[in-house]
Amino acid sequence: MNPVLPGEIAIKSESDIVAARRTVRDAAMQVGFGMTDVTRIVTAASELARNVFKYAGEGAMTWRQLEEPGRMGIELRFIDHGPGIADVQLALQEGYSTGAGLGLGLPGAKRLMDELDIQTASGQGTTITLKKWRMI
Amino acid sequence: MNNESISVIKVRDILMVTMPSDPDDSTISSLQNKVLTAMERTDAKGVILDISTVETLDSFFARTVSETAQMVALMGGRTIVAGMRPAVAVTATQIGLTLKNIETSLNVERALDAATAERPRDPR
Ligand SMILES: Nc1ncnc2c1ncn2[C@@H]1O[C@H](COP(=O)(O)OP(=O)(O)OP(=O)(O)O)[C@@H](O)[C@H]1O
Ligand SMILES: [Mg+2]
Repeated sequence: MNPVLPGEIAIKSESDIVAARRTVRDAAMQVGFGMTDVTRIVTAASELARNVFKYAGEGAMTWRQLEEPGRMGIELRFIDHGPGIADVQLALQEGYSTGAGLGLGLPGAKRLMDELDIQTASGQGTTITLKKWRMI
Repeated sequence: MNNESISVIKVRDILMVTMPSDPDDSTISSLQNKVLTAMERTDAKGVILDISTVETLDSFFARTVSETAQMVALMGGRTIVAGMRPAVAVTATQIGLTLKNIETSLNVERALDAATAERPRDPR
């Protein structure tokens, strides 16, 4: 199996959200995830790509394959220079939304993935890193 | 780019609405309008929303489906979501999407049977 080449795409229009989903689907399948995990990973990516577009206006997504003894994985990173998240704990709470959404994007992505890390501060932009692993 | 759009056709007195596999947000947003306009124009009594090719149902998509079903209900109609893939159902549940008050069906044929059956939800 060919390793997934790392990459980056810009998120600055609605169609980039679709492109992000397709890119992540291809990469996750290439890493060897099963259909349910591929769906989980793509859904998490869709939530975060939309958040970038909706709250920051624009940003980027990077992806890369992870390799460790006994396991392989995928890392997705969503980077923007928007307003940042003032209270991360609050933003991770189910039902919390400043954008008239369901407030399920961030908490949902956290449940769908194995790891979620948020680096952000008010006015400093937001970088969210997601990881999902599979045993080999 | 994604040029696929939502198709709406009338079968008996039911609207068959088919979502493309990977719709962009504008396409998703157009669902409500398309369905309500068609309901009005055709005097249909219900909607079957075929999502059998849909691979990703995120919170935005799910909210639009719920809101559309609510509007259809206000117009006296019934909505059945048909053909949700198992992986999509697992993911939606995990994310906390409930699709509350929405009927689901394994596939379009069953949805059509249910929608056209006489008094489908009569308890007796
Ligand atoms: N990249 C970001 N930049 C700034 N704020 C953000 C960002 N991502 C999320 N937020 C904040 O965190 C809140 C929660 O995000 P989350 O995705 O969980 O819900 P939502 O986008 O409001 O609704 P949903 O995703 O269910 O449609 C948002 O309402 C917003 O205030
Ligand atoms: Mg969101």
